Amino acid sequence: MKPDDLDKDPIVDSSLSRPLLVSSVLLVLSLAWALYDEIYAMRPWKSYQKRFQKTYAAFLNTLVPDQAAMEQRIKSSPEYQALDRAVREAEQRVLAEVRRIDEEINRKLTPQIMALNEKFQEVRMEISALTYELETASSEREKNRLRERIARVKQREVTVTLPQPDGSARKLRYTYDQMDRDLREWKDRKAALLQRRVELMAPADELRRKRDQYLADRIPEVSSTVLAGLQRKLENFPIEIRQIHVRDVDLVDRCESCHLGIREPLVLTKAAMGGEAAFISHPNRELLRIHDPERFGCTPCHNGNGIAVSSVTKAHGYYKHWLWPLYKRENFEAGCQQCHAGEIITEMADTLNLGREIFRARGCNGCHRYEGYDREPEELAAVRQEIRQLEQQRAEFEREIKFTIEKGDRARDNAEAQRLYQHADNLKVRISNINARIEQLDIRSRNLLREVKKIGPSLKEVRMKLRKEWLPVWIKDPHQFRPGTKMPTFRLDDEEVRAIAAFIWQSGVTGRLDKQPPGDPARGKESLETRGCLGCHSIGEGAEQMGGTFAANLSRVGEKVNYDYLVRWIHNPRERTLPYCPLERRDLTEEDYRKKGLPFVFDFEHSRCPNDGHELVVQQMTPMPSLRLTLEESRDIASYLMTLRRESAAYPPAPYLDDPKLKARGEFLVRFYGCAGCHEIKGLEEEQRVGTELTAEGSKPIERLDFALLTHKAKKEGWYNHKGFFEHKLRDPAVFDSGKEKPDKLERLKMPNFHLTRQQIDALTTFLLGSVESTLPPRYFYNPTGQKRDIVEGWWIVRKYNCMGCHQLMVGQKTVFDTLPRYQEPDWKEQKPPSLIGEGARVNPEWLMKFLANPAMSTTDTNRNGVRPYLRARMPTFYFSDGEIQKLVRFFEALSSQAQPYIPPRLETLTDRERLMARQLFTSEGAPCLSCHATGDPAHDRRATAPNFLLAKERLKPGWTLRWILDPAMMMPGTAMPSGLFTREGNRWVFAGPLPASFQGYEKDHADLLVRYMFQFTPDELSRLRAAGGTAGGVNGMAMNRTKR
Amino acid sequence: MTSCARKEEPARTEEAAPAAAPAAAPVVDPATAATITGKVLFTGTRPVMRPISMDAVPACARQHATQPRSEEVVINDNGTLRNVFVWVKSGLPNAQWPVPSEPVKLDQHTCLYKPRVIGVMTNQPIQIINSDPTNHNIHPLPKINREWNESQPPGGEPKIKTFAREEIMIPVKCNVHPWMRAYIGVVSHPFFSVTGEDGTFTIKGLPPGEYTLEAWHERYGTQELKVTVAPKETKTADFTYKG
Repeated sequence: MKPDDLDKDPIVDSSLSRPLLVSSVLLVLSLAWALYDEIYAMRPWKSYQKRFQKTYAAFLNTLVPDQAAMEQRIKSSPEYQALDRAVREAEQRVLAEVRRIDEEINRKLTPQIMALNEKFQEVRMEISALTYELETASSEREKNRLRERIARVKQREVTVTLPQPDGSARKLRYTYDQMDRDLREWKDRKAALLQRRVELMAPADELRRKRDQYLADRIPEVSSTVLAGLQRKLENFPIEIRQIHVRDVDLVDRCESCHLGIREPLVLTKAAMGGEAAFISHPNRELLRIHDPERFGCTPCHNGNGIAVSSVTKAHGYYKHWLWPLYKRENFEAGCQQCHAGEIITEMADTLNLGREIFRARGCNGCHRYEGYDREPEELAAVRQEIRQLEQQRAEFEREIKFTIEKGDRARDNAEAQRLYQHADNLKVRISNINARIEQLDIRSRNLLREVKKIGPSLKEVRMKLRKEWLPVWIKDPHQFRPGTKMPTFRLDDEEVRAIAAFIWQSGVTGRLDKQPPGDPARGKESLETRGCLGCHSIGEGAEQMGGTFAANLSRVGEKVNYDYLVRWIHNPRERTLPYCPLERRDLTEEDYRKKGLPFVFDFEHSRCPNDGHELVVQQMTPMPSLRLTLEESRDIASYLMTLRRESAAYPPAPYLDDPKLKARGEFLVRFYGCAGCHEIKGLEEEQRVGTELTAEGSKPIERLDFALLTHKAKKEGWYNHKGFFEHKLRDPAVFDSGKEKPDKLERLKMPNFHLTRQQIDALTTFLLGSVESTLPPRYFYNPTGQKRDIVEGWWIVRKYNCMGCHQLMVGQKTVFDTLPRYQEPDWKEQKPPSLIGEGARVNPEWLMKFLANPAMSTTDTNRNGVRPYLRARMPTFYFSDGEIQKLVRFFEALSSQAQPYIPPRLETLTDRERLMARQLFTSEGAPCLSCHATGDPAHDRRATAPNFLLAKERLKPGWTLRWILDPAMMMPGTAMPSGLFTREGNRWVFAGPLPASFQGYEKDHADLLVRYMFQFTPDELSRLRAAGGTAGGVNGMAMNRTKR
Repeated sequence: MTSCARKEEPARTEEAAPAAAPAAAPVVDPATAATITGKVLFTGTRPVMRPISMDAVPACARQHATQPRSEEVVINDNGTLRNVFVWVKSGLPNAQWPVPSEPVKLDQHTCLYKPRVIGVMTNQPIQIINSDPTNHNIHPLPKINREWNESQPPGGEPKIKTFAREEIMIPVKCNVHPWMRAYIGVVSHPFFSVTGEDGTFTIKGLPPGEYTLEAWHERYGTQELKVTVAPKETKTADFTYKG
């Protein structure tokens, strides 16, 4: 060490300036960084808000001139000018008097009342204080003294300065009572004047409202006043966090800190907002109206991290630690599912509805349980459980009755005995109630047995229905034979295919099948295309394909089926070869019936098991209805279908199907792959599901979704989430086996490939993403009661039987008929099945019940439509259970908000003269009612193109009928029924055509008259009307009755 | 220029259209305007039209001495095809063509539409008349325009209707008398014509240019022709339909 060093005092000599400089620079830098972070980096929403303010203001500026010009144009129109003039004239008329009133109120009454009231209150308070003292005084002397004081105060005169209308002031002396009197008088006068003013201004106000309404009606979006308001709002636009806080749910959503346009009254598009999608207004305002953001927030529907505002990624929840990332555009309706889980159709959620329908109709729930999707079997179990409980209860009551009576017999006194006997009687009455309940449940359970359907056809019938060689070809890959079919492709090797085919073939039942002569394929084609088959089925392949997707494509059906069976199937697809007894768990044969000496007849009238009296399954478990076609027409259609085949298709012989050695292996595989989830298979009727439950699959912890060897890849590519798992799995159900070493086939993933399209995958993913164990409080959930519940229930049946293939049930919904080429032609357009929008308001529910049970409206003449005989398309017989009919009727009534039960309104009785007038009008050439409407007269009805209106009385509701005849196009645009049959004359409707002479001097409403006539129809009137024939009695025949009154 | 038909009633629009045109449409210089004219010939066997049974409606039947036949195909005596709608399908400059205010008439007479085929410009009024002693309803079945269906009693006020969008063709039917059928061609410009009793059509006032002409017939479908017209030229373009 050098000597110098020793001299140096480290404290004095070493300079700290460098570290100080460095640290102060660091400090400044970190301060700058902190400030930057505080102001910009951590607050990206601030720049969003500034940009929003700027672009929105610019957008408003582009609107204002247009808006102003448009308003100016409207305001200069003669109509507006006239309205405006009327307003001003009305104001002018009362102006003088209104001014006088205002003058008196403002210059005289109000100031004087105020001045006087001030003094009056002073005195009044003094009196109140004295009165209180008086009330609380203890001695009578004291009280008297106070009474005197109060009297003195009342007598005391005070000086009040009253301002005068001319501006001067007058001093007056008042006692208390005088003040009170004057105040009352002036206040009454003021009230009367104000009332008078309102009355005077009423006509002008009404006219002003009309004028402003005229303007508002002609401006498509918002008025310039609103625009100006929005502009003002933007001028004072605070840069701040905007959040929704729903206290009871502890929900904080700050989404609107960036998405500032969401609730703006204008439609803001990406283009209008300078290309920033973040600033658009909510695309569905009605949804927003139903789900008020102040109550629902944003994230309960959309997911994402509502509190985070530090970055888009954070706020949208697209990071590892947020479990509920924002739904992507193609899946955003997943948000509906968590609260609307009980619905099969939710309005305004088309993607979700599609996903639900695929899940239901493609048979996903054949393998995967999903709460609410096995309605019938689950209800059946619940009903049986309830019956057991009630029977137990009944047994307990019976025991108690016995004991109670015994106790009564031995009671000490009569009063006690009476009490016990009474108790026993009460229990008896309660048992009678239990009996009634059990009866209902019994009916319900029988109904439910009938309601249970299978997605796929019964495999018990294969031997009778199918060509043997076709079976293995189909099992190997159904989509090879019929692209897009419901049945998925299992990954089977040839050994498995052979074994499965052999088991299915050998487990098939045999029975009677009539030999059918050939039909006429040309006629059959016409029938197939017009009877309504295409509402569910499609024909043609590729671009040629037409028809519905609910049921099978029939393009190659000729290659697979047996003609005789096909005829039986078309004639009545519910016809079953052998009935099934759920108790014995087997199909009964003719032998079972013969042993009991019974004929081999099983249908809904003969549905009890001959062995044990148990309810049988007497129909095929297909939703396909009967079109009530004749055998001849069924043969025509079958003959046509037999021509639908590829001649080139080769089917190698399959003798192994009869090899009994394969059966056991086949049965094992059929169980293993869960075939019985969709098909009825002999011996496997009560099979359990083979897949995992999916009710809450969307909230399953991600670790429990097995990405297997793809985990790393998924994380790298950003699809390590529920959406990614579902999409990959649905696109290729074997995908998570890739790279795995699984020599044993049974260990591999067994979910088959459904060959779903991109759109279908999106829809199913949406459905599954929304299938969560929700953490929301119960009030968010849609658990409707009353009519809303009826609607939810009804949609399930509508979907089950595909009512919407033929009928329009939702506003804007297209049916299959709307897409068929033939039905675009003018002559066929009106051959479409009727729209059912407003059906509940239209028809009498009692009638609807009968119609749904028997659409032919006849037990003998069934080869027809009961209401619309002119339609080629047939309303089929669905063999609905009573429960389904009840639900459907309630559904329609609820959709139209009809009070239940329906009580037909009482209509004013027709006078003789009115009956005559109405009859003449109906049959006149000026009123063509009978040219189109059927009457039930076969000769006439051959030409009819509209429903039998003589059924109106029983079928329709009068209120609807009136609205219908006044403006049918309002309810059904494009209907054959013309509008403009009546014109408005004063406050009544008058028939627009030439009137029979008898109408002279008739002052009442003509439309109402016709409705009353239709609803007061008698058989006698019917024959008279038929005699008039709708044509003959014409205009000529009517003048003679003119004088009758 | 013209919206012309060879039938008597719509011929009036032919006069009306030019009156309105020059003022508002500087697109066509009358000095260079060209004309396309031609015939629609019919070859092959003449189809036999099915008779119409009006028995059910005496008010209609009374008006016919002999049983009327369907007018789906009407072959003129000179071997030409009637009721063919001919229009300029493409080639026109993009312009706002003035709309004639004169309505085109569609009459319901003897329970048939007279004429069976009419052409109008978009938003040009169509006047619908009921000259029959019976009630009709007029029910156009457009695919693009808005559909409506209104009743018109005997002696009722004429109805004035318009269609806003171009559409070839709009079928019109009467639900009361199912045999009745008319077709309305709605075009966004005035260059169209309907063949009448002589089977000819004329499209006047065209700016010189190259056009695709389309002929439409309700049974025999559509045909196209390319036609180029020079200033002031009158070109002939004939269509031929085979039966």
